[in-house]
Amino acid sequence: MYKLVYKIIFLLSSIFIFTSCEDVIQIKLDKGGKLVVIDAFVDDLRKPQIVRVLNNTDYFSDQSSEPISNAQVVLKDLTANKSYSFTYAGNGNYQFNITPADTIAKPNHQYELNVTVNGTLYRALATQKRRAIASKIDLKKDYPFIDTSLVFLGIMDTLIEQTPIGNGPAEKFYTTLLFAVDIADNNPDYYRIKAFRNDTLFNKTNDLLLCIDGTGGEVYNSPEPFSFFSPPVTFLGFQKYQKNDKCKAEIHSISKEAYNFFLQAQLQVTNSGLFATTPENVRTNIISPTGAIKGVGWFNMASVTTTSLVMGL
Amino acid sequence: MFNKILFSFITILTCFLGIAQEKFTISGYIKDSKNGEVMIGATISKKGTGIGVAANEYGFYSLNLPKGTHIIAIQTIGYATQNFTINLDKNTKLNVELVEEGKQLDEVVITGEAEDKNIKSIEMSTAKLDIKQINKIPALLGEVDVVRSIQLLPGVTTVGEGASGFNVRGGNVDQNLILLDEAPVYNSSHLFGFFSVFNPDAVKDVKLIKGGVPAQFGGRVSSILDIRMKEGNNKKFAVNGGIGTIFSRLSIEGPIKKDKASFIVAARRSYLDALIKPFLKETSPLKGVVFNFYDLTAKLNYRINDKNTVFASGYFGRDQFGASVFKFNWGNSTATARWNHIFNNKLFMNLSSFYSNYDYYLEFKLPASNQGFKWSSNIVNYSFKPDFSWYVNNKNTVKFGTQVLFYDFLPYKATGQFQEGAEVKFVSPKRYGAEYSAYISNEHKVKPRLTLEYGLRVSAFTYLGKGTAFTFRDTIPNTERPLNDSVRYGPREIIQNYVNPEPRFAMNYVVNQFSSIKASYNRMAQYLQLISNTAASTPLDVYTMATNNLKPLLADQVSVGYFRNLKENMYETSVEVYYKYLQNQLDYIDNASLFINPTVENQLLQGLGRAYGAEFFFKKTKGKLNGWVSYTLSRTERLVRGISNDKWFVSRYDRTHVLNTVVNYDLTKYWSLSANFVFLSGTPSTFPNTKLEIQDMSIPYNTTGQRNNYRVTPYHRLDLGATFNFRKNDERKYKQTLVFSIYNVYNRRNAYSIYFRPNSTNANINEAVRFSVIGSFVPAVTYNFSF
Repeated sequence: MYKLVYKIIFLLSSIFIFTSCEDVIQIKLDKGGKLVVIDAFVDDLRKPQIVRVLNNTDYFSDQSSEPISNAQVVLKDLTANKSYSFTYAGNGNYQFNITPADTIAKPNHQYELNVTVNGTLYRALATQKRRAIASKIDLKKDYPFIDTSLVFLGIMDTLIEQTPIGNGPAEKFYTTLLFAVDIADNNPDYYRIKAFRNDTLFNKTNDLLLCIDGTGGEVYNSPEPFSFFSPPVTFLGFQKYQKNDKCKAEIHSISKEAYNFFLQAQLQVTNSGLFATTPENVRTNIISPTGAIKGVGWFNMASVTTTSLVMGL
Repeated sequence: MFNKILFSFITILTCFLGIAQEKFTISGYIKDSKNGEVMIGATISKKGTGIGVAANEYGFYSLNLPKGTHIIAIQTIGYATQNFTINLDKNTKLNVELVEEGKQLDEVVITGEAEDKNIKSIEMSTAKLDIKQINKIPALLGEVDVVRSIQLLPGVTTVGEGASGFNVRGGNVDQNLILLDEAPVYNSSHLFGFFSVFNPDAVKDVKLIKGGVPAQFGGRVSSILDIRMKEGNNKKFAVNGGIGTIFSRLSIEGPIKKDKASFIVAARRSYLDALIKPFLKETSPLKGVVFNFYDLTAKLNYRINDKNTVFASGYFGRDQFGASVFKFNWGNSTATARWNHIFNNKLFMNLSSFYSNYDYYLEFKLPASNQGFKWSSNIVNYSFKPDFSWYVNNKNTVKFGTQVLFYDFLPYKATGQFQEGAEVKFVSPKRYGAEYSAYISNEHKVKPRLTLEYGLRVSAFTYLGKGTAFTFRDTIPNTERPLNDSVRYGPREIIQNYVNPEPRFAMNYVVNQFSSIKASYNRMAQYLQLISNTAASTPLDVYTMATNNLKPLLADQVSVGYFRNLKENMYETSVEVYYKYLQNQLDYIDNASLFINPTVENQLLQGLGRAYGAEFFFKKTKGKLNGWVSYTLSRTERLVRGISNDKWFVSRYDRTHVLNTVVNYDLTKYWSLSANFVFLSGTPSTFPNTKLEIQDMSIPYNTTGQRNNYRVTPYHRLDLGATFNFRKNDERKYKQTLVFSIYNVYNRRNAYSIYFRPNSTNANINEAVRFSVIGSFVPAVTYNFSF
């Protein structure tokens, strides 16, 4: 809802395009203090799990953030009382290779992330969220009265043959829509949807796709036992695909706090125009010891549902 | 009870005064001879003495003089002074009509005395703009505007073009009580902030009170903008109109019964959407856009007899914005009914009741589907308000009254249709409140040179059911407070009460004929605040009342000023210094969720504020070349636990230096020229000093945690205007003018804000962007007519 309101406000401010203008200017900013930046989005996909530990960098710097290579990264499953040590794999990445039969992420388990940099311990807590994307099996078990033939998970492609606009060329491309069903109950589910073209993530801030219960708003006490993911939330971005391109969508079930973190980060990165809000620091869930270099970032444990489609087949 | 006691007191004292004094009273109305409009603030005095009084907001005056012969002078700026010799041996009624200067009749004596009211009056930190003066100021797109004009006065600023409302002495926009014929107007802007909702054709008088606020006003802590509508010409029918670049306007006024009853109806309609249509490309997302505003202002008055006059006035305005997939509209409506009654030649009453509503409606609908979203919100006020002016004697004028004001809020009502048949509703329960106040004040001429005004206003606010009151647990400041409990209250059950005594004091010591020293103190209480953390408030912002979690905003202000007129009042100069201290100023936790949030109170913080400054004013009131220059040096700061490392930080509305220059020059009988130049220090803003790379995003971050640690570049602008008057002589009935104006003559791109974003081609590099609302000079022509 918050996101929608800001979209509306942004739209309103767009009317000033008649008179307004934007100029890129040079500003000298003060040098920021040192921070430890922890980027820890761990999920239950069967692939190496990565936690990034970096320093911050000057706002206008064209260099990537300097990696911290001497950290110790340990993920603790507090529910199962297990620890997983991540090993340094270069470029600030600390990696844990899961076994083919298992993942470290389990629904409803509580986790603690410990990152030690130069003797300073940075901590963060997270609970693995449930996988709320309904499968026919789930529904048959929990909601036997539902006609499961209506339920499916998948991507639909649409061929667009665009006639030339102005002097532009004629274009032919595919767009995609994601279809999924969220189990609706009194517990809202928060999602980040990652869209990939040929396994390359659309990673710009504007490509960030977030939704609650698949609908854009929290469905408390919904009369329906499940709700469909509905466009435009699941319109997988305004991305163009060519024939035989693969579109993959990962639906990450994240915590409410992580959802808010993405929303805040997106707002801060795109905060502009007449109705821009007061710039604020994003809230982070890294706990730093008093007096030490401050740790910032986010730690989240996600359950992921994946689906993909090759265009034009 | 309060009223009963007061009435008994007044009756006894009036009888006593009537017996004890060998004095008589001259009382009546002062009006304009041309159209019968009452003249607010015109003065009536015994010539050659300091004894005098000003007409009140309804043009009524009452002057007490000893038995005998007196020469009485009645004057106001721009009008010929009228002198009467009167042999006073009984209470006398004297209604006077003043003649505009330059049109005087032979029998009227022109004294040549200029207005020195600014020296003698107790008012300070107060600016009065006459609509004739406003008309001369070069305006954006050639359209004269009340709110944009007051922004040229010392102590009044705005965040920038396109920002709604105005900021007085560093206060937020919601801290101004904007009254249109006594009814509060919640959103004073059309087209976001480019134009105000007040149609200049229907406005008679504009008064802005920044400090030394009289006890009769309350409810907002920064200023009172008191706008009085014309009553309508009661002598003859008149039509005023104009065709401008953005909108056209038309007003009709005239007598219903000559000298008894009159009306005025004024309307405006913009046609911006029609004008931009040809300039939009086929692919523009704005193709098919609806974007306009309209407003209608009307007033009716009827003088039943010499002692009773009734008025009814109303305003209705709306902005509409939409395209195929969405609709958005918002607007105010107000209605005021008033009864002026003269009990006797010393006691005047105005009884007002008003209704005010602000609402907005937003709708999104996805094409070819049933999916959509609707959202609305409103705020309604009802009030009943008797005010009395009691002219006890020449040394004491007592004002007293009461007010009851009801609030009825719908913070939001949202309906989402996300899939076939499934509708999700987010409806906030309505919120109710009642504000009661009573005041009494006395303007006491202690000595010929010393006048005091002392008074007390007591205000009370009740947050009422039906509703749910939430309580929250304490937590680390600047984080969302967790919900502790919620308690349901039935209809009209009291959830929370607040009572605030608001003392008011003002002093004027006249040093000599041309100079005076004034000082004032006032406490003000405010029971509703706007929830907005955007740079410019949006039409979607909602107000919140004082609740069990939010205390009322309180402000104490002290002002001291030195006023001096030069060259026989041709030049007015003044210096004022002020200090303001605020408690319970609203702020927000970082990344607050303010919209459609049932527990929005846990996103809000309350802190302290302070503002101080010096305002210098120089005005040339007469001659071919006239105008003013003002300079303000000020600072506005806040202290909120959890924000900016718990230290004082400059507020978003802080402007260190503000220079305003307004110049008019009457070149010939046909041409008059005008110019204004403004310079304002840049507004404070929070800039990042580092970036965090998380999940491929490059998130701006400020490691110091300081709020408003930078300033955007200063704002300055020059506007020029020229008015061509078609008239050959003043008596011609049909009058036409052409107004040419250029706004932002030297094409400066003033920064509204500076923001930061990733470069569009290389997202690893960030850049700073200056956003200017007006990106170039804006020429305009307006044709005005009247007959």
